[in-house]
Amino acid sequence: MRRFTKGIVCGFLAQAAMAAGVDFARDILPIFEARCHSCHGSKLRMGGFRLDAKAAGLRGGDSGVPSIVPGNSGGSPLYRYVAGLDPKIVMPPAGGRLAPREIELVRAWIDAGAEWPERGGEPGAADPVLQRGVGHWSFQPIRRPAIPGVKNTGWVRNSIDAFVLARLEARGWNPAQPAAPGALMRRMYLDLTGMPPSLGEQDAILKDPSPAALDRLTDALLARPAYGERWGRHWLDVVRYAETNGYERDAIKPNVWRYRDYVIAAFNADKPFDRFMLEQLAGDEIPDSNAETLVATGYYRLGPWDDEPADPAEDRFDQLEDIVSTTSQAFLGLTLGCARCHNHKFEPLLARDYYSMVAVFNGLERPRNGRTELDLPAGTRAELEQLAIRDAKIEPLSKEIEDLRSDFRTAHLKGDGSKLPPAARAAFLTPPAKRTSTDRQLIREHEKTLTEELAAALPEETRAKIANLEARIAAFVRATPDLPRVYTMREPGPKPPPTHLLLRGKAAAPGPEVPPAVPEILSKPDTVVSFESPGSGATSGRRLTLARWLSSPSNPLTARVIVNRVWQFHFGYGLVRTANDFGVMGEKPTHPELLDYLASWFVENGWSVKKLHGLIMSSNTYRMSRHGNAAYAAADPENRLLWRATYGRLEVEAILDSMLAVSGQLNAKMSGPFMYPFVPKAALEGSSDPDKIWRPFDERDASRRTVYAHVKRSMIVPVLEVLDFCDTTRSSARRLNTSVATQALTLFNGDFVNRQAAHFARRIASEAGADPEAQIVHAWRLALSRAPTPAERTDMLSFLKSSKLEEMCRVIFNLNEFVYPD
Amino acid sequence: MEPVSRFSPNHTPCGRTRREFLWQVGGGFAGLALVDLLSRDGFFTRNAQAASLKQPHFPAKAKHVVFLFMNGAPSQVDTFDPKPALTKLNGTPYKGDLTVGSNSRPVGYLMQSPFEFKRHGQSGLEISSLFPHTAKFADDICVIRSMHTDTAAHASGCLQMNTGNILIGKPALGSWLSYGLGSENDSLPSFVVMTDPRGGPIGSASNWTAGYMPAAYQGTLFRSTGAPLLDLATPEGVTDREQRKSLDLLARLNREHLAARPGESELAARIESYELAYRMQTTASDVVGIDKETQQTRDMYGLDNKLTADFGRKCLITRRLLEKGVRFVQLYSGGGHIEDTWDGHTDCITNHKLHAGETDQPIAALIADLKRTGLWDETLLVWGGEFGRTPTSEGVGKPGRDHNWYGFSMWLAGAGVKGGQAVGATDDIGFKAVEEPCHVSDFHATILHLMGLDHTRLTYFYSGFNQRLTGVRGNVVKKVLA
Repeated sequence: MRRFTKGIVCGFLAQAAMAAGVDFARDILPIFEARCHSCHGSKLRMGGFRLDAKAAGLRGGDSGVPSIVPGNSGGSPLYRYVAGLDPKIVMPPAGGRLAPREIELVRAWIDAGAEWPERGGEPGAADPVLQRGVGHWSFQPIRRPAIPGVKNTGWVRNSIDAFVLARLEARGWNPAQPAAPGALMRRMYLDLTGMPPSLGEQDAILKDPSPAALDRLTDALLARPAYGERWGRHWLDVVRYAETNGYERDAIKPNVWRYRDYVIAAFNADKPFDRFMLEQLAGDEIPDSNAETLVATGYYRLGPWDDEPADPAEDRFDQLEDIVSTTSQAFLGLTLGCARCHNHKFEPLLARDYYSMVAVFNGLERPRNGRTELDLPAGTRAELEQLAIRDAKIEPLSKEIEDLRSDFRTAHLKGDGSKLPPAARAAFLTPPAKRTSTDRQLIREHEKTLTEELAAALPEETRAKIANLEARIAAFVRATPDLPRVYTMREPGPKPPPTHLLLRGKAAAPGPEVPPAVPEILSKPDTVVSFESPGSGATSGRRLTLARWLSSPSNPLTARVIVNRVWQFHFGYGLVRTANDFGVMGEKPTHPELLDYLASWFVENGWSVKKLHGLIMSSNTYRMSRHGNAAYAAADPENRLLWRATYGRLEVEAILDSMLAVSGQLNAKMSGPFMYPFVPKAALEGSSDPDKIWRPFDERDASRRTVYAHVKRSMIVPVLEVLDFCDTTRSSARRLNTSVATQALTLFNGDFVNRQAAHFARRIASEAGADPEAQIVHAWRLALSRAPTPAERTDMLSFLKSSKLEEMCRVIFNLNEFVYPD
Repeated sequence: MEPVSRFSPNHTPCGRTRREFLWQVGGGFAGLALVDLLSRDGFFTRNAQAASLKQPHFPAKAKHVVFLFMNGAPSQVDTFDPKPALTKLNGTPYKGDLTVGSNSRPVGYLMQSPFEFKRHGQSGLEISSLFPHTAKFADDICVIRSMHTDTAAHASGCLQMNTGNILIGKPALGSWLSYGLGSENDSLPSFVVMTDPRGGPIGSASNWTAGYMPAAYQGTLFRSTGAPLLDLATPEGVTDREQRKSLDLLARLNREHLAARPGESELAARIESYELAYRMQTTASDVVGIDKETQQTRDMYGLDNKLTADFGRKCLITRRLLEKGVRFVQLYSGGGHIEDTWDGHTDCITNHKLHAGETDQPIAALIADLKRTGLWDETLLVWGGEFGRTPTSEGVGKPGRDHNWYGFSMWLAGAGVKGGQAVGATDDIGFKAVEEPCHVSDFHATILHLMGLDHTRLTYFYSGFNQRLTGVRGNVVKKVLA
């Protein structure tokens, strides 16, 4: 940056600048950079003061006194400190004073009006923060590249192959051989459904393993509900899905599982991704909003939440940060959350950008009653209106019932009908706010008795009145039934509260007001995104504007980010290996043209994720073998050039679901409230409520797919946690893949695997009969989709002579081959 | 490798070179192979053991930490912060401007401590009569009387004391140490947590999570009876011989599989993890097998006294874990809610007598035992809870105390600590830290410093920036250092 600025200054501008007097870029900025920024830059901000951005530089530090008063050097602390005019503070504190000439320049600059140019024509041209993004690949428009020519045209099944092969040929390399049909078939099943093929399916494919038949297999697998369960889970990682809030009560989020079901259904229905995004971000603001789109907006409320925050104002901004961070990572691949306290340290993202995004979401409220979270009815606008009308009619009736009961209760407590001790009666009669802890104790003790007394003593006349009112309410409810309840935020009106840039990210230190906007580095001078309400007027419409901009051609990130995610879950690594970070700190794409090709193809094909799967899986690139090549591996150990298919361990869900499928225990029930997998008592001991947090084990229910397992933030199911389940507190781009002894303990000694091994053994015995050889073949085919080799057959036969079938099954579930498909 | 450059954000992936990435993850326990994004060039398998131990930023005496977590928040004025002025003002209303109490609980009058404070050791450090045993080591103990934190709620308070942040999902102190220093023993976890039989702390596992770091850095729950680790025991109905035979079969099949896929280090690492697991079965079981300890040792830890037996057993197992090289052991005193912890809302006196009674003798025994074995010279002891308690009673007529985040006491002892002193001070009534206030992040910075780590350099690149245990805060409390 410095070189850049100086380059201009030393060029044709230099003379003009000299003539005009002190020039900021030439004379002042170098002083600031050399002597001030190390303590008052984006990094340290000593005294809350930074001098590397105009607004902050003028505003001053923690003292609240402006640091620079244009035109008045004597009234500018900055000058006073560097000139030594203040006996208490002399700056810089170390490394010697500024040279007299430098001090004089600072004075002259301030007195001349402290001109501090921030930008030129191109966005970020002069702002040192935005400057970082100039020319960065992911901020450039997506352009459909030409398909490169290759020598080995016979290998090119579709354009993907051309892009991949061109890079390999440039190095004189050849792609790996095609994977064997059996291995490829298993790979496709595990990729798309998370479970291996059945025996009948294996036979059918091996009968005709032609490329065209495999294309048909892709389509068939995409049409299975199991596809949505597998790929929906990938999305749940990205949106920090969990079913409790964390913290002391770690309360269950009511009806949150409907969001999980929504995601699974969306993948199964191949909901276009732009629509999927729109529904999650603005499902309440779109014209055709309905129960489903309201469920989608549950997206906003999936994060952790402390129902007893240390500082409620700060907590509000923590919640907004959760939303801004998740949204910017999930849809833009940007780490905007880092710009809450200051401009981003590495990325071209300003604190102002962060708060502009906060402003988009600042209208959202979390429906609750104190610590108790509330869910909301979900339906179309018309349905919700009807319900509101109905409830308005019911309300006075309910109130009347309440009054009748309350009057009678008071009369009962004051009269001589009650047998409660006088102190208890007095406690009940004390208004709640005025009750002492003794009162509350008395109330707890006698509540039940009082309720019984009241029920017994209620006069017939009152009883009849109440019954009549209740009947009228029931009639209203029959005419307009309740709607399903969803867990989501709501925006109660069209005018969100003003959003201020918070100094140092502190709620208590509001700075200037900030309007809603897209990040400056992505805004185009010719297509300004207007956040003036386009919507119904019931809400601000800001989220709708954001969602529409995200899928618009003027945003170069979203399409790239999603196609990269899809690629990653097929190949183990994305074309951009940092799937949540497309910024300057993220990795560059290994195949930039291919990424842009896929992104533009995806948008042209209606943002259809299933079509994208079809394109990828029909390529020869996808169908390569994983077999190594020592020379290539030495030169490109991470397979960045895609010279083969990379080995990768299955995610924990696919491991467990495969075991269930192979053991024959899989319960295919989809959707609905979560299930509770078996958790050993020992694992509950770390909880503050070990007896209450987990439900008793119901094997049938627990044998549903792992995506339906309860995700409790304070106690992740141990087998999931140990096998690298995602971080549930933030957007998670990709599962880590570790190999540690505790995983071996869990997979070899743990309840789940041993239970499934026993079922598997019973299944084999019943399906393959008593002949050990037939049992071995059957087991191998079910678990590994292949017949055992002769050596394996011999080894197993000798093993089974002295060991139980169940033991063999336990070993099979632990094989590398079981979790690392070829 | 330069310690600074290894944390510089200018490399890939995620701001690290491959080698650095390996270095960072290589220090997990049990030969952790973070095979993710790793080379296929066999680098890992050649260097796994060498990488598992890491150099601190600067030489330090302390190699292990024992965090004695007094869950529920002990009262400073009843333990390590004597306040004669509070005795004088006993029964009068609090007139200051601090908000008293939490969750609109009732506020009573200023309440003196019923416990007598005496000077102990040569240093004359004042300790209340709740800790007659620990007081014998007064000259080893450095009390910080000026602690303060950002919250008066248990969940966020425990999170802050353990992970440096009131928000859920950040790595715990033990994870940071395992990450920063690696493991000395790969057949045991490097970060061990033992909870109270009455339950875990509020927030449960979020207090020992590795957050965004690999799961291998997270605290592992260790039980003092039965099988110490989850799934450590061979499954029911399987003999040890069968277990070995099955493991041998597995290894054989996996090696054949690997032979056809030469150079796949992920597959090799996974084979090795099963052997480590097998060794762990022996090592971990040995640690809890305390039958061979002498009667004298049993008596010292109070194992035959119902009151002290549980915490005593954990303290003894702690010594045995330290002997095996475990990096960080955290013991919880108190679990579940309210009176089952140090959370003395209704009767702080009876509450503290119980919890101090359960822990005082075992803690003193641990100190004595560590001194006997020489481990004392490389072990740092940390004592305290998530915050303190009010100098006022909670409501009138009951000797309870409410939460207090303005001021409380913690103590440090052992390697690198200057004992026999109290650092910092609260006001006259023990309410607010006024002299040399020590925020939790300062406390963490000091612990890291004692372990040879600079809290500003111990970073982990995640989600766009270099994360730190101390966030943007933290100053080492120099007075603590020997």
